[in-house]
Amino acid sequence: MSLLDAMPTPRIRWKGRHPNVVLVSLSLIMLVAFWAFDVVSMAPNRIVSGTGYGALEAFGWPGTLLATLLLVTIGVVAWQPSHRHYRALIVAVVLLMVLMPVGLIASSYLLIDPELPQARLGLGAAYWVVLFVLLLCLIEIRLRLNLTRFWPTLLLCGVALVWWLCAALWLDSLALVQEYNARNQLFLTAIGQHLRLVGIAVSSSVVLGLLLAMLMRRYARLQKGAFAVLNFLQTIPSLALFGLLLAPLAWLASNVPFLAQLGVSGIGTTPALIALIAYSLLPMVRNTYTALEEVSPDTLEAAKGMGMRAGQRFWQVRLPLALPVLLEGVRITTVQAIGLTAVAALIGAGGLGTFIFQGLGQAAMDMVLLGALPILALALVVDASLGALAEALRPGGAQ
Amino acid sequence: MSNALGAVQARKQAPQWRWPLVWVMLLVVSVVGMPAAEPLFHWIEPDARQVVYDRADFYVLLGRHLLVVGIAAIVTIVVGVLAGIAVTRQRGSDFLPLVGQLASLGQTFPPVAVLALAVPVLGFGTLPIIVALMLYGLLPIVRNTLAGLQGVEGDIKTAAHAMGMTPTQILRQVELPLAAPVILAGIRTSVTINIATAALGATVGASNLGDPIIAGIVNGNMAYVLQGALTIALLALAVDSLFELLQRKLHSRLSAP
Repeated sequence: MSLLDAMPTPRIRWKGRHPNVVLVSLSLIMLVAFWAFDVVSMAPNRIVSGTGYGALEAFGWPGTLLATLLLVTIGVVAWQPSHRHYRALIVAVVLLMVLMPVGLIASSYLLIDPELPQARLGLGAAYWVVLFVLLLCLIEIRLRLNLTRFWPTLLLCGVALVWWLCAALWLDSLALVQEYNARNQLFLTAIGQHLRLVGIAVSSSVVLGLLLAMLMRRYARLQKGAFAVLNFLQTIPSLALFGLLLAPLAWLASNVPFLAQLGVSGIGTTPALIALIAYSLLPMVRNTYTALEEVSPDTLEAAKGMGMRAGQRFWQVRLPLALPVLLEGVRITTVQAIGLTAVAALIGAGGLGTFIFQGLGQAAMDMVLLGALPILALALVVDASLGALAEALRPGGAQ
Repeated sequence: MSNALGAVQARKQAPQWRWPLVWVMLLVVSVVGMPAAEPLFHWIEPDARQVVYDRADFYVLLGRHLLVVGIAAIVTIVVGVLAGIAVTRQRGSDFLPLVGQLASLGQTFPPVAVLALAVPVLGFGTLPIIVALMLYGLLPIVRNTLAGLQGVEGDIKTAAHAMGMTPTQILRQVELPLAAPVILAGIRTSVTINIATAALGATVGASNLGDPIIAGIVNGNMAYVLQGALTIALLALAVDSLFELLQRKLHSRLSAP
């Protein structure tokens, strides 16, 4: 026992029980946001900015009361947390998330004038704050219950399904849904382009990164130079790198017909891919190199003692042991590439960034959301799933 | 004797200043002398009538860029370090797991998406880019502050406590100095990333060094893109090398007998 343990612990105590201060304060934040901010906004058409409505006007008395009760419940249950109470809290949080689109349906009946077919409903600040804080609550409960990532992810998938159903069936007046309906074909193409760009960039940087890392292990002089170049590449802003590739590639395409036939041009996919790969290489090579170097020499010595050849040692011992750290590099690279591909829309590479920049150009904020929200969701999903994969592949398996 | 030692030290320290000086000089030269390089840019872009971006002077753009990054950096450093300190105290330790998770989760938010989400709330202009930079830059600092403070060995803290230090004294005289290199590394990452990311502000109407790049992409004028990219890269390299210098100084102070 150290001296610090003997010091008095200044914690908030209440009747001998030990409240979860985090969840209580999160619940207070949600209550304040729910009552103080606009819950929804209603605009008569696409260009006019909407007028905000509070909870009472948007949901009526019953809806407001139900939401407030649920929010208060989270705070009250968190005062004396036990294993069972945490499970009840999960139920309350998921119930609130499921009720969110239902509330929107209610407010679309209460607020939207059926005479105005162009009228649209926007999400207010309170909606975003409550949604974000609910996710924080879920993370906090997961940490307290020591759950793996699997169950919360499954729950969130269920919630997303409910949202999707509500949006498709009953929420025609929601601005986001209207923007989607106006260009659903374009939206699907954009997602496809986005995924394809990220996929090609990441898979080629995995291959190149592995090759480069293996070369670096062999030729030590290469290591310093390569890292210096890659570090330098990362300091050039993505915007500039995309722009700088326009001129040389356009020149190549006009002067070398063979390359033009291959699809090389100054604008579009080729410069975007080159820039994406250039950016992806640094995190990829760094992690691959560290992963391969960090394998314990004792293990390799043991493999040698067992009579394994160099190739066997690499493929059967070094690579499998390096895999979790290597996957960590793939995760960082992919998440970064998803964000950078959005910028690539500026040079005509397509993808979800198109909606962001078109929306910014037309001052149509719902269109910006249509581009930004899927990018965010994509990044979070990739992060969670690759993180879970790396956890499962760690020697000894998932804990 | 002491003179000789001082001379040796001075000779050792001279190269430390070299790279920051080189980059800062290059940055100043490129900002001031951009119009003088017109023939060079004519050679790159022979067809264009205008080859040097002239809607605003480069030092004005550089100043705005630095202002945006600087404001965001000051706010993130203050908030991030304070948050990191708060959750590692006993009083705030309940928040530690959540803040730790949030700090690693925050890296997954792409800056473009954060910027795009900030515009509907804050409108066009400089404010959304500052907010996006703050959100994006906050997490490396929080993460490194947590790592630095948690990396201080418990025995050292116990020793300090046994010497009669109050918790505030332990924090200021033991924990923070020992965690400083890690915290500084986090600040360096955050600021360097933000210098490059700030260029995106030009797409939402914030005028800074991203302006020439956007104008160049829109008009197909490579000279503009080159000028913007060159200045931002030099700025990033200059600031990065200054941070490296600071880290070395800190290191030599900490490891001094």
